[in-house]
Amino acid sequence: MSVTVVPAAGASATVRRNFWRGVWRVMRRKPSRMVGAAIVAGFALMGIFGPLLYPDPLPRDTQALYAPPSWRHPFGTDFEGTDVLALVVTGARYVLLTAAVTAVITVVLGTAIGLFSGFKRGRWDSVLMRLTDMKLTIPGLPLLLVLSTIWKFTGAIEMGLVLGLLGWGGVARAVRSQTLSLRERGFIEAARGLGLSTGHIVGRELLPSMAPYIAMNTLIAVTGAVYAQVGLFFLGVLPFEANNWGVMLNLAVFGGGALTTTAALPYLLAPLLAILLLTLGIVLVVDAMDEIFNPRLREE
Amino acid sequence: MAAEQSSEQSSDRSSAPGVRIRGLSVVYRTGAGELPAVSGIDLDLPPGTITGVVGESGSGKSTLALSLLNAVQPPGRIAAGSVEIDGLGDVAALHGDGLRRARGRHIGYVFQAAQNSLNPLKTVGGQLLDLGRSHGMGRSHGPDDLRGLVREARGLLDRMGLDGARVLDSYQHELSGGMRQRVGIMLALVLNARVVVLDEPTTALDMITQATILRIIREVHEERGLTTLVITHDLGVVAEVADNLAVMYGGRLVEQGPTGEVLGDPRHPYTRGLLAAIPRLAGDIGEARALPGRPPTLDSVPADGCVFRERCALRMEVCETGRVPVVSWGSRTAVCHAVQGAREDVKQTVTAGTVTAGTAIADMGEEQA
Amino acid sequence: MALHRSRARAVAWRLAGHLARGFVMILVVTTISFLIIRNVPGNPLAARYEKLVEQGMAPDAAARAVEVLYGFMPQGSLWDQYVGYMSGLARFDLGESLMVPGSPVSDVLLSATKWTVLPVLAGTLLSFLVGVVMGVYAAIKRSGVLGDMLAISGSLLHGVPQYVLALLLGAIFTTLIPILPAGGTADILYEPGFDAAYIGSLIEHATLPVLTYALAGYGGWILAMKSSVVTVLGDDFILAAELRGMKRSIIFRYVARNAILPLFTILALSLGLLFGGSIFIERIFNYPGLGLMLIDSINNRDYALMGGAFLLITVAIIVANIVADLLYTVIDPRVRGEGETA
Repeated sequence: MSVTVVPAAGASATVRRNFWRGVWRVMRRKPSRMVGAAIVAGFALMGIFGPLLYPDPLPRDTQALYAPPSWRHPFGTDFEGTDVLALVVTGARYVLLTAAVTAVITVVLGTAIGLFSGFKRGRWDSVLMRLTDMKLTIPGLPLLLVLSTIWKFTGAIEMGLVLGLLGWGGVARAVRSQTLSLRERGFIEAARGLGLSTGHIVGRELLPSMAPYIAMNTLIAVTGAVYAQVGLFFLGVLPFEANNWGVMLNLAVFGGGALTTTAALPYLLAPLLAILLLTLGIVLVVDAMDEIFNPRLREE
Repeated sequence: MAAEQSSEQSSDRSSAPGVRIRGLSVVYRTGAGELPAVSGIDLDLPPGTITGVVGESGSGKSTLALSLLNAVQPPGRIAAGSVEIDGLGDVAALHGDGLRRARGRHIGYVFQAAQNSLNPLKTVGGQLLDLGRSHGMGRSHGPDDLRGLVREARGLLDRMGLDGARVLDSYQHELSGGMRQRVGIMLALVLNARVVVLDEPTTALDMITQATILRIIREVHEERGLTTLVITHDLGVVAEVADNLAVMYGGRLVEQGPTGEVLGDPRHPYTRGLLAAIPRLAGDIGEARALPGRPPTLDSVPADGCVFRERCALRMEVCETGRVPVVSWGSRTAVCHAVQGAREDVKQTVTAGTVTAGTAIADMGEEQA
Repeated sequence: MALHRSRARAVAWRLAGHLARGFVMILVVTTISFLIIRNVPGNPLAARYEKLVEQGMAPDAAARAVEVLYGFMPQGSLWDQYVGYMSGLARFDLGESLMVPGSPVSDVLLSATKWTVLPVLAGTLLSFLVGVVMGVYAAIKRSGVLGDMLAISGSLLHGVPQYVLALLLGAIFTTLIPILPAGGTADILYEPGFDAAYIGSLIEHATLPVLTYALAGYGGWILAMKSSVVTVLGDDFILAAELRGMKRSIIFRYVARNAILPLFTILALSLGLLFGGSIFIERIFNYPGLGLMLIDSINNRDYALMGGAFLLITVAIIVANIVADLLYTVIDPRVRGEGETA
């Protein structure tokens, strides 16, 4: 084993440049990964600009309830004659805003707790990890359902808050194990030996080396938040206050009877398609990230 | 060392197979094309001797070891050359089931002790039986074979100072490093292989265990009449057990000859550098001089000229390009322009040996006095 | 002999630790459900109590009736209520269900459990078997197109939430090509019993839930097995076996056994997790298991039943955790040998 060297500023810049070159190489090797990145970017744009494309409230065509797909309505209309595609596009903001809030809270809390745990070790570490264990053991969805009886978290931001507070366990665990492994490799001791402050070690050395790892976990947290939120609205335990994909699913299945008659089928399939597409995009991006961080999986 | 080799072992020795490696080259496929890890190796393992191959990490010595079993792992492959083993033929030409049977039966391979060479979920005995079944012993045609195999294994383990029955009943995690290494040696020999390759047999063991393992290697080698190849980065190991020594650098053999002669009178500047880098127990630590620079990696080995010139104190213009001459005298060889020059000046310093097991290479044979 | 005793002691210690941790977890979960029941908006206890008194019941009798329902008295301090609730739990008294009037919550839960456990078990085992085999294949062919497709399809199935799969399967097999029933456990035409018609109907109705569980799990298994096999293939002992001239079939067995080992732990864990994950599938296919019970209890404000269902789902996970760890102790000699020296 050679001596571990903490990269100097110049060296770490090179490392970063090499890293981006590596990212580019991995992305280029499989075109599917580019598609994934494009899909994710597309959804982000839809969440930001989607509602601007349509009038508010959405127009209703009372002559065409549950209309079949046509040029005017590519995915048909719902029970009130509203265009389903418009519902999916405008509903994206609510879904993605929740996901964004969840992701921010998950990452900030998870990273902070994971770093603290891995850095301090000792008693704090074991207390925090017990807590994380516990949170990971209590089933998330049933807990959310039960909580929904006393707390009607209906706004997108409030919803994201709840999901984020319940969801940081995985990231904390991952960050902690990364911190510990860097510590094991003598990384932290070496930096200490060079007289670097804790802030510098964490901010300039540890975080950059973990950033991609955290990014990966963030993406996974985003998908988790989307699923959980859509699922809660689909189950109908939360009052509907704004249009979103989960509400659409609920109304299609339990209102429109999409699982027994074909009329409401497009109304059911449109949000499902949106979720599938988003999942595909994120899976492809995570696959690319995985290869960047897991050289062992690199197929040579 | 030659004096210790008493005549009573001569019968065993004569039956030990010899190994002749000729023009062996191994390449690895990388993003930058096929890069040579081992190039143009000529090496003889005389029957009944122990040959040590010394080199830094990345010198290609482990690749050479794997080549003896035609087991270079992808993306690597043997690009040229042959490995002739008496009674078996050219291993490099073997493939499929024939190759598989040769491994274990004719050639035994012993891993580094720190590498886990045992299935963690099976007892040593269970894996021994799997080994037997793989080589045609089985319930249907001869349960005696397997029983004999277990008896042989227990005998070998007992011989190496272990409680054979107990070890066969153990899992890998229940064995210490030294015990694992003896199990590795047992598994390499139990099918009666006569050519044995040991890859870093003592690395990661403590000093006492190292000494024990080396003694065992030497003794078992004598008793069973083996032809042994020891790969190591540790000159001390070679000095301890090897009859002959070959020094590798950048995928090439740079010097070889009888161990005592090479260590006592190194000629190649790299061998000299290696020896000078060893601190002596009874000397000043300041006397040990590390070789400047680093060994080349796969993609930094010079394609033309001498591979060692970047770090060489005797670097000359001729070293930059072309083939480096192979200089042979007696049973010794060195691949170096400087050595050639020195030998042409003083031809009388020939140390022609009485050793019968020579490693002379025909290339420059006419040079001998 | 000594070997066995120390092994047994190691297992016992682990078990004790797990039980202690499980106990704490259950304490936490029951406290959560107690606090929720107590703090539900509209205070169902007080409402019920007042309603009973309005209907002419004596205050004492009304209080007792409410206690039967929820497990603790409507009046009294927080601590008294908590102690009352917990001591009830200790006697497996979870209160009485509102939805199924007159039935203890424990009975309602027990009858729902079989509708969750059987499909979950069938679906998980199916996906485990198929996923593991395909995972080995994906690992061996990992540089080929087919291996790539297997891995991507695995990631996709693993990534998609269960309800999306359930809805898609439902849309296909009950709406587009209506060959399977949309919900329930069996046709009401048939009397429950051991006759072919009833059992056939049971299987028909269970097909979609089981298929969904299987598809949802399959992606995870193929990914886990692939990465496990890739890891084991890189291990030294595989090369060592090759260099000793071991037969391919034997080496394959070595790889498979070593690679599948960590998956058994995940298997036990996932069986526990699926109790909670069954909510969507049971809601979509109207299958009367624990998940549907939880939803229905929330929608019907049957808080005693809700608390009980939540507790049961959590306990399943805790038990699965313990089983997973003990399983590991039994099948992995390295863990088994812990605590003894070589």
